[in-house]
Amino acid sequence: MTSLVSAQGVSKRYGDIRAVDNVSFEIEKGKIMGLIGPNGAGKTTLLKALLGLTDCEGQLSVLGLDPFRQRKELMQNICFIADVAVLPRWIRVSQLLDFIEQTHPNFSLDRAEELLVRTKIRRTSKVRELSKGMVTQLHLSIITAIDAKLLVLDEPTLGLDIIFRKEFYGNLLNDYFDGERTILITTHQVEEIENLLTDIMFINDGQILLNASMEALPDSYVELVTSGDNADSARSLGPIYERDLFGKKVMTFEKIERDKLAGFGEMHTPSIADLFVAKIKGAAA
Amino acid sequence: MTQQLALVRRELWEHRSIYVAPVTVAIVMTFISLAGMVTASAFDHEIRMAILGASNIVGDAERQAALTVFFLGTSWIFLFTLAILSVFYSLDSLYAERKDKSILFWRSLPITDAEAVLSKLLTVIIVIPLVTVAAIIVTHLVNLAVSSVWIAIKGGDAGHLVWGSVALLDNWTAATIVTFSSVLWMSPFIGWFLFVSAFAKRMPLLMAFMPLILVPLIELIVFRSSYFAEAVFGRGGMMPLFRGMDMEAFFDEDRMQVNEELIELVAHLDIVQFLTSPSLWAGLIVCGLFTTAAIYVRRYRDES
Repeated sequence: MTSLVSAQGVSKRYGDIRAVDNVSFEIEKGKIMGLIGPNGAGKTTLLKALLGLTDCEGQLSVLGLDPFRQRKELMQNICFIADVAVLPRWIRVSQLLDFIEQTHPNFSLDRAEELLVRTKIRRTSKVRELSKGMVTQLHLSIITAIDAKLLVLDEPTLGLDIIFRKEFYGNLLNDYFDGERTILITTHQVEEIENLLTDIMFINDGQILLNASMEALPDSYVELVTSGDNADSARSLGPIYERDLFGKKVMTFEKIERDKLAGFGEMHTPSIADLFVAKIKGAAA
Repeated sequence: MTQQLALVRRELWEHRSIYVAPVTVAIVMTFISLAGMVTASAFDHEIRMAILGASNIVGDAERQAALTVFFLGTSWIFLFTLAILSVFYSLDSLYAERKDKSILFWRSLPITDAEAVLSKLLTVIIVIPLVTVAAIIVTHLVNLAVSSVWIAIKGGDAGHLVWGSVALLDNWTAATIVTFSSVLWMSPFIGWFLFVSAFAKRMPLLMAFMPLILVPLIELIVFRSSYFAEAVFGRGGMMPLFRGMDMEAFFDEDRMQVNEELIELVAHLDIVQFLTSPSLWAGLIVCGLFTTAAIYVRRYRDES
């Protein structure tokens, strides 16, 4: 497999604060990687380093390029949506398409037009006249029309209603993703992207807590719903995190054989959101 | 090259005042001269006498001089518009994109910070002056056409009085030279404004002008000198483009005639002296340094 992104000992400091602390990971081609972390965990800083928007320590290579020093070459093959509000409000849709066509070598105007026909966005509208959801639709259409190797999405659906959010991820999978392209996505609404991810990475306090493929999760993590004496027995096996649910105990185990837990209660693979809480709280405990 | 053109065109989309302001000024000036003609029409007799006098007594040179004075007036108003436009445009060019956060979108495209900042500099140094010169030419032509119709209605020979006497090429050449020279001469300020626009967290206008007032004040108090104030505020008056105007040589009082050689505006401009002036080049270097600083600020500043 070829690594699209390779980070070795990457750090970024703001004064005394280590926003990203000695992080190492790889992202392979064709993956949809979810980068999950609480506010202030260092997600955005890490994405900025990947996009060459900020310099960092350590070795970072994206598409074989140094992102900060070879940003122009990098941007020909990377797209990113940083936040819903970043499209300039004064520009007309037609001007925007025109401008990108002239400045981006990998942009297909025909493809963008084809995607926009399906929406209610008119060519003559200014961005400020569009609703928040439409702006995101527009941005995604533009990005889908760029033949890029890596797409980075930082909270792309922030502030959108559920219909637009569902549609966004639907379009992302149907129109953009083709198995060749790679996506790196961060969001707080983990549940919504859970089913589309191939890989997942948890980050907290600038450090990576988990980096695994979604397929490997059932082998590594199990959630046990139990109560009474069974709970005490299960607890002795060392869950990484425990919480209460309707009078029962829910315990999350890491790298444990499921046979050992058999008979203590109901077992299943934790959702990303639950696993996330378990990892963050477990690490803090 | 295509990319730079696209970037400059983008500036015109965003900053519509670049052409709206000169067009507005042109319309207002045309309207004022129309109003003047309508008012003057009330004095029918005097006008006929004036046209008669202009046609028969006054010589070609004097008529040319009179029209040139009128042209100069309109050109200066456009130069003044250009100055105001340039200040506001340069201060806004790198500030607005940070304020509305669209900088993150622009930086997601394969365009370097140097290319982006350069497009803003080119807009002030080339595009705004070009629009200004175009507005000057159009205003002159419209005003001449309107005047011709009016003079013809009043019984004068417009072809002779207006078109035969006006030195269009001379006026326009001079206007072009003065416009572009002024921008080059004032380029250190443009560089400074671009830098402030990239640097200021808020209120770029205040941030740009405060040092221009505070630094001379501090210099005066601490060193009892005023070199900075002279260099900054005196620069506008020191442009080495103009030859001195000798009124006695220009107007021969004994013969009551103007010296025809000196009516030409271009004759008063010394391009060689301007282009070889160390002050011009020093200013361009200062502009270059500030622009480079603006590029670095845009590139290295973390917008989080």
